[in-house]
Amino acid sequence: MTTPKLSRIRLPLSPKPTLTNSTIRSPTVRHHTTSTINTSEINHFNALASSWWDPHGPSRLLHLMNPPRHTFLRSCLASHPTQPSKNLHLLDVGCGGGIFAESAARLPHFSSITAIDPSPSVLTVAQAHLALDPPLHATNKLTYLQSSIEDLPRTKQYDVVSMFEVLEHVSNPSNFLREATQRVKPGGWIVGSTIARTWTSWVVTNVIAEEVLGVVPRGTHDWRKYVNEYELRAWFVKLTAGTDVGGMDGGRWDFRSQGVVYVPGFGWRVVEGGEKFGNYFFAARRME
Amino acid sequence: MWFRSATLLWRRTALPAGRPFPRCYSTPTPTSPELYDVVCVGGGPAGLSLLAALRSSAATSGLKVALVEGQDLKKNVLRDSTPSTFSNRCSSLTPASVRYLKEIGAWSFIDESRVQPYQGMEVWDGLSGSKITFDWDETNSVARRPSRHDSQTIAYMIENINLTTGLQNFLKALGGITILSPAKVESISYGDSTGSSNLSTWPVVKVSGGQTLAARLLVGADGANSPVRTFAGIQSRGWRYERMGMVATIQLESEPVRKIAYQRFLSTGPIAMLPLPGKMASLVWSTTPERAEVLKALSEEDFSAMVNAGFRLSDPDLQYLHGLEAGQAKEVEWRRRHTPQSGAVPTTVIGVQENTIAAFPLQLRHADTYTAERIALVGDAAHTIHPLAGQGLNLGQGDIASLVRTIKSAVESGQDIGSTLALEQYTSERYAANNTVMGVCDKLHKLYSFQSAPIVGLRSLGLSAVDKLGFLKGFLMRNAAGGA
Repeated sequence: MTTPKLSRIRLPLSPKPTLTNSTIRSPTVRHHTTSTINTSEINHFNALASSWWDPHGPSRLLHLMNPPRHTFLRSCLASHPTQPSKNLHLLDVGCGGGIFAESAARLPHFSSITAIDPSPSVLTVAQAHLALDPPLHATNKLTYLQSSIEDLPRTKQYDVVSMFEVLEHVSNPSNFLREATQRVKPGGWIVGSTIARTWTSWVVTNVIAEEVLGVVPRGTHDWRKYVNEYELRAWFVKLTAGTDVGGMDGGRWDFRSQGVVYVPGFGWRVVEGGEKFGNYFFAARRME
Repeated sequence: MWFRSATLLWRRTALPAGRPFPRCYSTPTPTSPELYDVVCVGGGPAGLSLLAALRSSAATSGLKVALVEGQDLKKNVLRDSTPSTFSNRCSSLTPASVRYLKEIGAWSFIDESRVQPYQGMEVWDGLSGSKITFDWDETNSVARRPSRHDSQTIAYMIENINLTTGLQNFLKALGGITILSPAKVESISYGDSTGSSNLSTWPVVKVSGGQTLAARLLVGADGANSPVRTFAGIQSRGWRYERMGMVATIQLESEPVRKIAYQRFLSTGPIAMLPLPGKMASLVWSTTPERAEVLKALSEEDFSAMVNAGFRLSDPDLQYLHGLEAGQAKEVEWRRRHTPQSGAVPTTVIGVQENTIAAFPLQLRHADTYTAERIALVGDAAHTIHPLAGQGLNLGQGDIASLVRTIKSAVESGQDIGSTLALEQYTSERYAANNTVMGVCDKLHKLYSFQSAPIVGLRSLGLSAVDKLGFLKGFLMRNAAGGA
């Protein structure tokens, strides 16, 4: 692993750290042929670890995005009243310093949160930050694991599998999503956020956010890895139709999305149609 | 939810196995503090309102909260049930503040027979006589206020003790609050880090009696000399006005037909009379420390005469009267007969309720910020204001409404309510708003302290112009009524 070129500038736009990797996992190192992690991504986020929870640090935009994530997830859960609304088990993939996982652990409707990330340093940060909240820590609701999603047993399924600001950092989104869908209970949800691959997002994330405003650390984004909303939607349609690569039964899925835009001075705002050109939330419910 | 386990954690560490009682008689062993989500220091109107609002809102009622108050709250309650005598510590609550108290359910615990709504304001310049009349009947057509049952009311005069007693009774009905009173704050320091329990960012309050409380969020509702603010290292800047605020509960010759607030700007500061039920009224007179001393030493009869003079006689008259050791009553009577009265003046004062004359120094102070990691400042701990617009307590109520809103959204999105990130909303909502009100009151005070002819002329022109512009008056009155 080489040290990535990384000037520690300011905050991310799609600020999330991380992904899943087995190469970091010691002592049982397994190299998946389908590995979805990207080692240079891990190095990048390792370097950002120390300032993860600094409210004015590089992860500020991520922190600000956290309440809207819960609002979006709540609206998804509420859209299917038959869904059990309590004692939910959550798997947070690419948890980074634990911004989403820790906040989910404070909510009464989640009874357990398993948060995974391939980067050991961000997990150290996440654990240390959890310890700063002794009452929460003592509930044992939140477990951090250094793991990739493919290394988690497929036998264990969750009510919600979350992946906030993750998709744009994985090497193989299709494999990654397939691994994720297999860990969702029937009636459960995949929920996440990412950025569309458009000329607007290229300008905003790579030029404006990282270079001009410096609100996102340089090197956080590789625009070529962005996934468009229509691609994601089509992927779930194919999975539901059983025509996905591999032809296995991937379940039937109901997909939805919501565009969000960061407005300096006001924070993240829901913008209808925003999913077509920039940041968006998405969710897919696995039908019973 | 998480506080339940906090208690378990505390028990686990506080009571070592095999020893029935912790040994702490000879050598004081450090015991683990009890963990709270919110510890509020200060049981005045702001602190009590905060706890009432937190307990009465579904989203925040699960928080484990504690109140630390140096005075004995049980002794500090309204005992007089007949509205004939009144405390000298009164506030003018705006409709916005009253609406909030109704919203959280506290207003029904207030003794309304002791509350006096008023519908008009008479404000004028003592040097030029230039006047601005605030009256809803007159400005209504242009002000276009939404029709509400209290739309005619500018504000409500209420004794602070009536408010705090009501809030205390409301809290009793709500239950579920740890109240330590009387309990003085002996020290505030950060907690320890032991194993998996890291309290190094949690303020730990040690109170007289030895109890220690660790706070996820420590709220300073502890007044102008806030120990919480000092602990947080937040500077409070401002200045003294070299003025005393004299207060008294006064008795009028007869009950006024219309309840109106009167305020006259004198060169030494404004004198204000605010209506209370029946023949009673509340006096707030900002004046120099020297004059305050003179006034305090007067007999009841002479003091009443000076109040009447303050609303009627000229600046040189008042200067002369303050130079007398006694006998103001006769002097004022004679001078009143020879001073032409124009416009409305308040009903004549005939007496002062016993032991109600008091004076306190006036100052403007504003904390550099209202929040720090696990700290929030509200009310006088955050800002102290000139009383000329009667906004002090209302600013505090606005703080509480905003802080509770902030805590509520933090709880709903699973944020740590003590994190600076979660608290940002509170500072950004309140700081600029409070600063504006404080600035306006400060400028008014300064403007009216000038005696030079050109400035008196200009400001009178200002007041006369404002008086003629109905819409501008409507704007000013809406702001006086709390931005309703």
